[in-house]
Amino acid sequence: MSLRKFGPNDILLNTLRTYSAVEYLIYDGKVYYNHSPNQSGTVSDNLLSVTGGALSLYEYNIDRKDGVNPYIYPYITKDSARSSFRTAGRTTYYNEFAYGDMITGSYPLEGRIDREYMTHPGARQTGSDVGLPVSSPGSTFAAAPIYPHFYALKNKLNYYTYLSEHYRVSSSFGGGWDKSNQAISLISVPAIMFGSKLKEGSISLKWYVSGTLKGELRDSKENGELIEVNRTGSNTGEVAGVVLYNEGFLLLTGSWAICDSPMELEIGAAADDPRWIHFGAGAYDGTTTATAGPTFASAAFGISFQAQSDTQAYTMFANAHRGKANYSNNPTYLQSGQTKLKRTSSMVYEENPSLKIKNFVSSSLLDYNAPFKRQTIISRIALYDKDKNLIGIATMANPILKDEDQDYTFKIKLDI
Amino acid sequence: MAKSYQPLNVNTDVTTTRTLLHEVIPLTGTIISGTYGVFPDEENIKNYTHGQFQSVYDYPYLSSSANHIFDLTLGIQSGSSLSASTNTQMAKKANMYNEYAQLLLGYDKAQNIEAFESDVNVADDDNQMQDCFFISLSRLLTKDQIKKGTFSIELGQGAFDNAHLSTITLTDTGSSETAGFALGRPGGDYAVLYDSTASLSTQIPTSSYGVIFYQAGVVVLSSSVFNTASGGGVITDFASGAITQTGAAPDTGPGRDASYMIATSSISGTCDALRHRIKNISFNNSTEINSTIYFCRMPVNQFNYSSNPTYTNASKIVVKNVASDLPVSYVTTIGLYNASNELLATAKLSEPLRKDPTNELTLRVRLDY
Repeated sequence: MSLRKFGPNDILLNTLRTYSAVEYLIYDGKVYYNHSPNQSGTVSDNLLSVTGGALSLYEYNIDRKDGVNPYIYPYITKDSARSSFRTAGRTTYYNEFAYGDMITGSYPLEGRIDREYMTHPGARQTGSDVGLPVSSPGSTFAAAPIYPHFYALKNKLNYYTYLSEHYRVSSSFGGGWDKSNQAISLISVPAIMFGSKLKEGSISLKWYVSGTLKGELRDSKENGELIEVNRTGSNTGEVAGVVLYNEGFLLLTGSWAICDSPMELEIGAAADDPRWIHFGAGAYDGTTTATAGPTFASAAFGISFQAQSDTQAYTMFANAHRGKANYSNNPTYLQSGQTKLKRTSSMVYEENPSLKIKNFVSSSLLDYNAPFKRQTIISRIALYDKDKNLIGIATMANPILKDEDQDYTFKIKLDI
Repeated sequence: MAKSYQPLNVNTDVTTTRTLLHEVIPLTGTIISGTYGVFPDEENIKNYTHGQFQSVYDYPYLSSSANHIFDLTLGIQSGSSLSASTNTQMAKKANMYNEYAQLLLGYDKAQNIEAFESDVNVADDDNQMQDCFFISLSRLLTKDQIKKGTFSIELGQGAFDNAHLSTITLTDTGSSETAGFALGRPGGDYAVLYDSTASLSTQIPTSSYGVIFYQAGVVVLSSSVFNTASGGGVITDFASGAITQTGAAPDTGPGRDASYMIATSSISGTCDALRHRIKNISFNNSTEINSTIYFCRMPVNQFNYSSNPTYTNASKIVVKNVASDLPVSYVTTIGLYNASNELLATAKLSEPLRKDPTNELTLRVRLDY
């Protein structure tokens, strides 16, 4: 084995960018992810043990059911490192567990889209204002927000105003708006489903009424604006919301009627025409025909986009030049039966300097040994760091015979 | 945002810790045989043309949802009484034994491959297990290692057509994180699997039927656990029917003990018979989570001001009403910087903490990797 150093042009770092199509269909409180139906197993009627349209992290508990095939579950022992699961809150962790106690979690952990309907996003709880002094004596800090997710997104929305004014929370642009006072449908997509980001220009939201496409939003300008397209109505070209590409959020504020077809779209609300603020109803927000009303069965929603994933890939060129890499330390590389040591004592350790290399040059003639040639068979390439620690091994599909007068370059790819 | 740097003293402000995350892994016999098709041709069992081992999945392996859970095979040491060259797949069985023994135990001083023993001292060459079953558990399930003292395997002792009527449970009950196992072998730490009904004081090789390698995730079972009573084991009628006779129903045909099967049957056929007898496998795995903890200290007279633009209004601090009020700030985020003041990471507090000159705070930032 001989160590060789990569030259400045032998290592390349590239980014492999891939796009995968993602599609959801939301209907009557159920979400279908990439046309996947609910799968039932032999033991369990829910193969992955997750709700429809969700991804199971690790996909561990396949076809399991309590009492037949118990679930795999994690646990941690409380110790001074104070590690825990999120399921054990701070108070619970300190008060209910002694050191050495087992804190259990559960699988599967699932990732899924989520929809939140905010009638008045800026609203706060009433009757519990916090009495901390602010600039004006006597005033108070406002109480906790009813829709904390909106408050969490306000800074990001204002940040992306360099893409479009429509991101701004409060603006005088056009007729002006204040998102704090507008009804908003917030659709959250988890990163496990969109990778690095949502690809600009790939987003499409479709509203179906009784199976007929009645309205569609696209980010056709690739600047985050969700613009109504493909409709003959007066609102074609209007911006009905914005998308946060890097964070995976869709905020819909369009409140005009897409068509004249009243239906029950929100829990506890009267029948209303389809509007973009009702888009996505039923995506894990509790809205079903049972909770909203029977006419909710007329509404279906389609969301599609391309998920962008960036993978860094190292390409390394390992050179076995002519006249080099022509010896092997494999014990079988030498003729058998030779004395390996010339002499050894308490003072001297000397290897035999005349060890003969086994001649394995192939001959096409029967009972004839071809003349000796120095050659090796390369089967693996090992990668070392600067301290000569082995950090990786590339194994050939087939060993390569290398003669002394041959040059080889091996291309090694490593995705990171 | 706020830019108030406080150097961390690597001797007093930074420490490391290690947490072990465990998972309880139950593998019932229903997964291993009989659920996904008709024994021995279940859809979650993959046999290969090379015939050297058999893979077991937790669901039909053609499904993308299936996880590989373990491989099964068997091996015969060259010195075994079953090592006749005329035996079916004898070369493969011998190679398999040597492969596992080399990888897990290594070589003795004479450069011979060590043999598996049903005790924790392989150097003394006693209690050797010359005919073994190997269960190689998937890394998905064992993670960093199997937790010592948690492994158990329950094997059916009944007649072949009702194998689980009575059972024997083998456990590594004598092993713990600190004692009861051997170390220093290429396969890592290993311990002996005893019959769970044997008392700890009598856990001697007569009640030990295998070993478990915790880091490698390999279980080695001596075939003696399945031999006839006269052979030193406890189970008769190891296999019958379709296992031994082509075309026969699974629960018909002559009863065969394990020695007969190991010598005369294919590896996959013998593994089928073993699967049929596995009632339960259970263990806990471990994953090491290494952490660096940074103690970020905020003394009395520091971090009482913020450079957040909203902290002041008309050049006045908004959280102060009169000039004599104490300055106050609310800590929401801690930034970790390198020596060049380049931001490497931020830690967010679950809720803002009030900081003023009357209090001192030490915030514990843990970085897991």
